[in-house]
Amino acid sequence: MKEIVRNLTRRKLRSFLTISGIVIGIVALTTMGALANNFNALLDGGAKYYASYVPVADANSNGVTTSGVLSVDKADEIAAVPGVARVFPSIGVDAKPGSLQVVSLGLPDRIVSYDPAENQYSALKTSFASGGDATGSGQIVLGSNFAAEFKKKVGDTITLPVKPADATADFAQHAYTVTGILKPTLTAPDTAAYVTLSDAQQLFKESLPVALQVNFDASHYVAGFDVYGTPGTNLDQLADRINSQVSGVKAQKPSKIIQALVAGGALFTEITTAAALLALIIGGLAVINTMIMAVSERVREIGLKKAVGATTSAVMREFMLESSFIGLVGGVAGFGLGFAVTTLINATLPASQGSIFLVTPGLAVLCIGFALGLGTVAGIIPALRASRLDPVTALRAN
Amino acid sequence: MIQIEQLTKHYTQGKSVVRALDGVSLGIEDGEFVAVVGRSGSGKTTLLDSLGLLLKPTSGRVVIDGTDTSRLKDSTKAHLRVDKIGFIFQEYNLLASLTVMENVMLPLGYAVRPNGDRAWARTLLSEVGLTDRINHRPDQLSGGQQQRVAIARALVNRPSLVLGDEPTGAVDSETSDQLVAIMRRMNGQHGVTFVVVTHDPDLAAKTDRIIRLNDGKVLSDEATAPMEVAV
Repeated sequence: MKEIVRNLTRRKLRSFLTISGIVIGIVALTTMGALANNFNALLDGGAKYYASYVPVADANSNGVTTSGVLSVDKADEIAAVPGVARVFPSIGVDAKPGSLQVVSLGLPDRIVSYDPAENQYSALKTSFASGGDATGSGQIVLGSNFAAEFKKKVGDTITLPVKPADATADFAQHAYTVTGILKPTLTAPDTAAYVTLSDAQQLFKESLPVALQVNFDASHYVAGFDVYGTPGTNLDQLADRINSQVSGVKAQKPSKIIQALVAGGALFTEITTAAALLALIIGGLAVINTMIMAVSERVREIGLKKAVGATTSAVMREFMLESSFIGLVGGVAGFGLGFAVTTLINATLPASQGSIFLVTPGLAVLCIGFALGLGTVAGIIPALRASRLDPVTALRAN
Repeated sequence: MIQIEQLTKHYTQGKSVVRALDGVSLGIEDGEFVAVVGRSGSGKTTLLDSLGLLLKPTSGRVVIDGTDTSRLKDSTKAHLRVDKIGFIFQEYNLLASLTVMENVMLPLGYAVRPNGDRAWARTLLSEVGLTDRINHRPDQLSGGQQQRVAIARALVNRPSLVLGDEPTGAVDSETSDQLVAIMRRMNGQHGVTFVVVTHDPDLAAKTDRIIRLNDGKVLSDEATAPMEVAV
């Protein structure tokens, strides 16, 4: 080890530039990987969530631009479909209506209806960081990012929805008492606020145009249902059964939703792969160049080592250890720098955004291991050249 | 005991064949101090490289302590070198990044079962008069001192044979005398066989035997007149 360090410090500038090449690549890999990790955690949570129930909406809803409404009575019809274990009404409204969602890697703040019993059925379990369930009107449970954004803790009062700048005079807001704050899940619940069904229905009604509100009995309507199957039920088939047996509703197959999420994740995987390739090209060429120069400069040294008993494999091992060490130093420094950059950026983001980078132990192993492997592989050709030198020729080289 | 039998080494240069060694046969007894002399191109260095198992002969064989080296694999030759052979070069060939002690101990790192250790390296450095230079780097030493380090390095794994390629070729005559005295002392004290290639008649005169080569053949092989050697 001491000799490796000495060899690297013989040509300080060259070693510094070589290691810098790897550092740049690994910083790129760390930041892209952390971005992908964060996004994939969001998608994984979504996939886990959507894999456990069948979302049912109005037949005319496309789930994006039109949401539609359903009568609460539909719950009984859906519950009668074979394979249905439980039906939960579902309503959600924007917490900050009218706000412009610019480019963001997070989810918008939502106020959604909430039945504590649903947590028993959902694959995505939530738990409380503090406090407990909202059990009555005027109570609210906040997701972790939601609470951080509005700087609320259990017992505080929060007024929602947030009044937009161009709101009319009759814009309705309600004061809620925070009963609980959820632990982070890295996905949708973090940016949600949970109220009772009746409060959510009231908010839903108030989100409609004034003309529609007049004869609208909010207690009779919901935006949709979350339908859970009995154990062993195929949810895609259950969706088909609901569509065929219940009129006026559209049940979505969970597999279709998950496919869409996976497709979104693939893009980030490609970005990470591109960053890794960039690291490979920049760092790998730098290491190869440095090690070939080192072999050229140390021809006599190699000859001497062979003369005093170094085998071909021993010489090869020495040079590969040196190039591996370059990779390791570049990897550790690159990951450290990447970690610092991502932590700094995360810290400067607004609380509502949460984090956009997620650095995991797995990513650390990947980045440092990648750099180490890169150094080792890049050292193969120079090490082979060194080990194959004829000792007689090498000893008499100038 | 070293036995060289009908050793030939031929090189091809263009269309012509250079016979660097042309049927050399020799026997060297344990503990001998032998000089190999001859004009440039006579085959001295080729003979030394062949003895050091650095060159593969075209034909013939080199037997070292009963081991026929002609059919050994490169890795086995490397192990045999570190176990039985030490080298002293004209240009010292010390590693600039290592200290004197680290240079001396270098061969031990390549030995499967080292026959020396740090204490032995220190003893050898003491014997060549460099105890106070153990932590110095080669560029902090004179040429003579560097060659003394090289002598200690050649002996550190307790070889039976030390090969010197013009060991006094890069130093002045006074330093040369000191180096020859050290080598003779090591030869006498440790019973190590020395074979040195030299152009220096003074060095050759201080050995036990002079082998003269010409055009790759042994021209003469004579014992030198007995002389007083400081041990």
